[in-house]
Amino acid sequence: MISDMELVALVTSSDDQAAFQLLVERHQAAIRGFLRRLAAGDYGTADDLAQETFLMAYRKMHTFKSTGSFVSWLHTIAYRQFLQFTRKHARQQVMAEPPEQGHDPGQSIDAEILTQRLMAFVSPEERACLTLAYAAGMSHPEIGKVTDLPLGTVKSHIQRGKHKLQRWLKDHDHSISKDKTRTGAAPAKEAHRA
Amino acid sequence: MPDSTFDRELETLLEYTESPQPEAFTMDVMRSVNREQRIRKLILWTFGLVGALFGLAGAVILSDSITRLFTFTVAMPATETMQVVLFIVATAAFYVWFMNDDLPLDN
Repeated sequence: MISDMELVALVTSSDDQAAFQLLVERHQAAIRGFLRRLAAGDYGTADDLAQETFLMAYRKMHTFKSTGSFVSWLHTIAYRQFLQFTRKHARQQVMAEPPEQGHDPGQSIDAEILTQRLMAFVSPEERACLTLAYAAGMSHPEIGKVTDLPLGTVKSHIQRGKHKLQRWLKDHDHSISKDKTRTGAAPAKEAHRA
Repeated sequence: MPDSTFDRELETLLEYTESPQPEAFTMDVMRSVNREQRIRKLILWTFGLVGALFGLAGAVILSDSITRLFTFTVAMPATETMQVVLFIVATAAFYVWFMNDDLPLDN
């Protein structure tokens, strides 16, 4: 299989559109997934930003240094696109609502909806660090490069984000099912909250 | 809840779900890239044309005065000589400028 570096070289040297299309096909799931987590469920915005990310990557391909990984570089662009978007729309409510305190305990909640709600519960930096660490499987130094944050800050964002999520899940007695299709809520503990 | 268990649970929770219509997304991106390329070429040609017009105007305006320097070596009429020289230089400059856009870029 042709490597990312070879495809990048083809795009930069001869403006090979087929090579760029292959790069998009290869990495669209990761970038869209990352931005969906960042946008906390706003899928339309996430996909728009993902499209902008690839367009920016195409424009700036010649600035890509072959010493780094291409997918990390794409994540860096995606994160900056997201930050730019949130700054532009700071006054608008673009994020999903935070998790409800009075969630109906008798009903199980779709894992994807739960994830969106949890993502809205943590700050954008924590969201980015957690997603890159747990979904993209990046190391802490890699996350630091993507987010342009010092290593210590990355670690504290991950720790703080984890504690927030852990606390919320514990308070609401949610368990994360292995198949990630549904997550159950324990009626006994939640009953008095409703 | 031990951290390692929660780490595994977080991996499960945060893992990306399948993005819908990957082909349509890729096509949208490629359409944007094509549009971008068209705009880039349009800008390139517009500025190239403006540059060529300026070059032509310059050739006409300056030909008389500059060709006085060359007429003693060339048998052609002064205006035509300078127009030929300017045309060749402008063509070479345009070629270098236009082709430079496609030169391999250092990675």
